Amino acid sequence: MDVQEAVAESTPAEAAQDKKDGLRRFTMGPNDSLEGKLTYDGHVHVDGRAEGELRVSGNIEVASGAKVKAFLEASNVTIKGDVEGTLNARDKLVLGKNAKMSGDVTVRRLQIEDGASLNGHVRMGDFEHQGSGG
Amino acid sequence: MSTRAPGARVPGKTADQPPPETPTTGRRGGITLGPRDRLIGELHIDGDVRLGGTVQGEIHATGDVEVDDEAKVNASLAGGDINIRGSVSGPVIARKRLVVARSGSLIGDVRVARLVIQDGATFSGNVSMGPQPDAFTPAPEPAPAGAAPEPVAAAQAPDMAAEPQPTRTDGKAKGKPKR
Repeated sequence: MDVQEAVAESTPAEAAQDKKDGLRRFTMGPNDSLEGKLTYDGHVHVDGRAEGELRVSGNIEVASGAKVKAFLEASNVTIKGDVEGTLNARDKLVLGKNAKMSGDVTVRRLQIEDGASLNGHVRMGDFEHQGSGG
Repeated sequence: MSTRAPGARVPGKTADQPPPETPTTGRRGGITLGPRDRLIGELHIDGDVRLGGTVQGEIHATGDVEVDDEAKVNASLAGGDINIRGSVSGPVIARKRLVVARSGSLIGDVRVARLVIQDGATFSGNVSMGPQPDAFTPAPEPAPAGAAPEPVAAAQAPDMAAEPQPTRTDGKAKGKPKR
C-alpha cells in the first residue's frame, strides 16, 4: 500500500506556538484523520485516526480514543489511545492507564502505568553506557 | 542462558498441601533470602518469596515474588504479583501484575496479565500481555506441523493469483494507488 505525502510545514489554524519551549504544535481533533507521512518540526497531538508514518522533532501525544496505525518517531511519546506499529522514542515513552500498544518499541526511558496494555518487543537504548545514574 | 530444567517441571503438589486457590492476602508461608544469601537451582514454593541476594535458576511461587534492591537475579521467575526493585535477568511470568520499580532492571521476556514500569526502570525484552498467563504449564505445544495449514494455503493460492491480474494492466487502476 502506498501512502501520500502530507506536507505540513505550516498549518495556520493549528500550528500554535507552544508556550513552554517555543516549538510549534500540530493538533488533530477527534474527528480528524491523517493518512500518509508526516515529518514535523514541533509537537504533534494525535486524536481521531492516523495511519502511516509520523516523524516528529518534538513530542507525540496520542489522545485517549485515538486510533493510530503508524511508525512513530519522536523525543517523548505519550500514549493514551490505541497504537499499532513500530515506535521509536529518543527520550521517553509513557503508556497511560488506558493505552493499548502493540508493536516493537525502542526507547531510552519507559513508563507504563497500571492498566496499560503492551504487546511487542521493548528495547531500551544506551542504558548500558549511561554515566550519570538514573 | 545457563538455565537448565532437569526433569522436574511441575511443582510437587500433593494432596495434603493447601490448594493454591487460597486468597492471596498478606504473606503466607513465604521465604526470604537476605542480601548475603545465595540460591542456585530451582525453587518451587507454595507462598510468597522475597529475594535479596544472588539467585540463579528458576523460581516458581504460587504467591508473590519480591526482588529487593540489592538482589542479583539471573533466573526465570513465575508468580502472582511480581515486584522488581533489583536486577533481574531472565524470563518472567506474572499471573497477576508485574511491577518494575524505578530502581529495578529487567532484561528478559515477560508474560503478564498487567504490567507497570516506573520511570527510571530499565527494561528490555518481549512483552506479551494476556488475561491469564498460565505460569506452571509449559508453553503450549506447537500445532501438528503440515496438517492444517497446507490445504488452506493451497485453496487460497488461485484466488491470490487471480487478484493481481486486473490491476497489472498499466495505468488503468487510477482509484487504487499501487506502488
